[in-house]
Amino acid sequence: MSRTEVLDVAGLTKSFTLHNIDGRSVVALDGVDLTVKAGEHVALAGSSGAGKSSLLKCVYRTYLPSSGSVVLVDEHGERIDLLSLSEREIVALRGRRLGYVSQFLRSQPRRTALQIVADAAVMRGVVRGDAVAMAEMALNRLRLDRSLWDVHASVLSGGERQRVNLAAGTVSPPRLLLLDEPVSALDPANRVAALDLIGSLTESGVAVLSVFHDLEAMERLASRVVLMRAGRVIEDGPPTEVLQLELGVAR
Amino acid sequence: MSLIESLLEPEQDDLIMDAGATREIRRAILTAIAVPGYQVPFGSREMPVARGWGSGGLQVTMALIGSDDVVKVIDQGDDEGVNAVNLRRLITRASGAVETTEVSEATIVQTRHRVPEGGLEVGQILVLQVPEPEPLRGVERDVRELERMHAEADYSRMWVSLYEDRVRNGVITRTTGYPCMVGGRYVISTTPIPRWDVPLLHRSPFLSIFGAGRAKRIYAIPPDTDVEPMTFEDVPFEVEENRGAVCRRCGSDRSFLVATPSSTDGVDLWACSDTSWCNRRSGIDSP
Amino acid sequence: MNQIDVEPEVLEVSALGRAYGPVDDGVIARTGPLAGTSKCATTGTVLAAWDVSFAVAAGEALGVIGESGSGKSTVMRCIAGDVVPSAGTVTLRRSDGSFATITEMSPAEVRGLRVHDLAIVHQNPADGLDLRITAGGNIADPLTAAGWRNFGSIRERAGELLRRTEVPLERMDDPVGAFSGGMRQRVQLARALANNPSVVLLDEPTTGLDASVAAGVLDLIRSLLEEFSIAAVVVSHDFSVIEMLTQRCVVMQHGRVVEHGLTDQLLEDPIHPYSQRLVGAARS
Repeated sequence: MSRTEVLDVAGLTKSFTLHNIDGRSVVALDGVDLTVKAGEHVALAGSSGAGKSSLLKCVYRTYLPSSGSVVLVDEHGERIDLLSLSEREIVALRGRRLGYVSQFLRSQPRRTALQIVADAAVMRGVVRGDAVAMAEMALNRLRLDRSLWDVHASVLSGGERQRVNLAAGTVSPPRLLLLDEPVSALDPANRVAALDLIGSLTESGVAVLSVFHDLEAMERLASRVVLMRAGRVIEDGPPTEVLQLELGVAR
Repeated sequence: MSLIESLLEPEQDDLIMDAGATREIRRAILTAIAVPGYQVPFGSREMPVARGWGSGGLQVTMALIGSDDVVKVIDQGDDEGVNAVNLRRLITRASGAVETTEVSEATIVQTRHRVPEGGLEVGQILVLQVPEPEPLRGVERDVRELERMHAEADYSRMWVSLYEDRVRNGVITRTTGYPCMVGGRYVISTTPIPRWDVPLLHRSPFLSIFGAGRAKRIYAIPPDTDVEPMTFEDVPFEVEENRGAVCRRCGSDRSFLVATPSSTDGVDLWACSDTSWCNRRSGIDSP
Repeated sequence: MNQIDVEPEVLEVSALGRAYGPVDDGVIARTGPLAGTSKCATTGTVLAAWDVSFAVAAGEALGVIGESGSGKSTVMRCIAGDVVPSAGTVTLRRSDGSFATITEMSPAEVRGLRVHDLAIVHQNPADGLDLRITAGGNIADPLTAAGWRNFGSIRERAGELLRRTEVPLERMDDPVGAFSGGMRQRVQLARALANNPSVVLLDEPTTGLDASVAAGVLDLIRSLLEEFSIAAVVVSHDFSVIEMLTQRCVVMQHGRVVEHGLTDQLLEDPIHPYSQRLVGAARS
């Protein structure tokens, strides 16, 4: 099946100049080429410091890449050069076409769980009435108890917050979804439900680029695994192959 | 005449205002009439009455009056108050004008507190003695800021003050000096008249001139000018209530009544503030 | 060209500068971050702010970060129309759609703008409120200035705004002087929103408030900005405030903008040495 390309990263480098230490440079990404297609789930693997999160952040523009290109291909096939966009254009894009779910729920202490998820849908263009219904469905799917829906996010536990986060990131899903350890705080039962949800996203055509520290999740969800080391791509292939390699190296 | 000789000239007691002062005040009055409600500054002169006792009103009257005028002076509505009597004597002696207590006969009426009951007619002039002309004084102290507020018609501080009054007291409580918008442009204080008389100013047939000697300001309301009490649309402007009281002399319940101490049992009785109006009524109605 | 719809700009600051003293190329070169000062050693000229540019759209909040002396307050005052700049312009799109160049307006025109289109929330609520007047009265002020003349309507609107800013309605008729700092700040917010301004400037909105009180006020500000689609400029030295309220920000030092970017990018990947120092200090 020929799938359309959604993300095209080419020659991406990122180094940090630590002016306030001794001006040294730290290289996080050292020339990364990567593509993700619609309906594809690409999982980044590698030990910590390999550059996985840095890659996600460079795509989302939380990090400013040092060189290379990051191109998002939209629904019309139009190639959008993310690095040439103005700040306001990136904000608009993030609202609608580019999603990012990290481990941490960004500070919105007094919105309720339901409101946070509904807000995210509204940001992506859904009408408020529908957004609430979608939010309820998403929270249901992630097994968040109904009694917690109207509770302020700040009083939720880590695992509950993570599920709200995931719901917000995936409701009315964006074209490209970046996931950074989105289930790390979940107990086994909730984890299964979450992975299930993520799996269904790719089925509906969302392009997913993820970081999981847990091999089982990667095996289960990813259509491809990209192994990184020292800011570079070492291997890029089907999960079983790549992970065997990684496990082999680790042993 | 040398300087020494002019200084040694006997003082002319009857001349309380010289020609120069008269001209200046007339110019100020003309400006005031041309810009209704605008407080025109003028060089307030020394008068035989102390400041705060009608020197401003007196200067206005003296600038306007001539020997063919008829002048009525009232104090709290009363022609026979000590103040009114003194002023009347001063004015007539200095100008040669004739005095009267009859409103219909007067060309100029000078007042310390009331508009004659029922108002004046076309061609008559009402001169009001103003203790403090600035309507915004309660909400702002700074002189430059006051000037700016009037210049820019920025009366929001006054509106807030009215709002607060209404909130605190249920009604707007100002008794005298009720702020009014003149000609849709300037806000004036209607001091010295009570609320009762404020409606008489709106599109009046007569000319009103307000003189404040201590503050050195003159302002005017020409005939047929809109004078609207500042109030919220849904808080109607109300005049004082009589609450069933009637005048003990003429029996009226529709004039402005004031309490007069009773000599017999210490209970105040009400009587018309405008004594000549009351007398006329008693004269007609007395059995 | 990329097909990304962005909201039109509501506030545009263009090459804004405020100098105290004569300015020439030399003065410009001898001041700023590279020179390490905003005062020219030769002429004594202080360039409190120079060459500052940014734009804000409806529904967007932009942060201006800097330490004291950075010029952020000067920029704020120029936008507010309190200070006439030496260079550059500030243009605002009014609620009625027309454009106003604040920097060319007379003080009377600026006052009109401040009633209808541009509101300021001061660091110290006492600067933005009359403490002797009731909470409702402080809101009645901009309403009457905008021509509201119906007492009932004024009270209704004031009540609605106080409810929205979470001030207990039973305190509506209490003088603001009797309120706590956090409550005063809420009244200031209610007052700022009275005439549905298109732009709101927030100057250190929670400085001086207890942490828990500040959190509540920040949260409120955030939801108000979203709800009313306001273009906001938030001046602060506090990163938690900037993070909570803004999507983009500029960093100022010695009167110049040294870096600008998305707020999350500035906090996680500051590029300019000064930005790195500020963020590093905040994180520790």
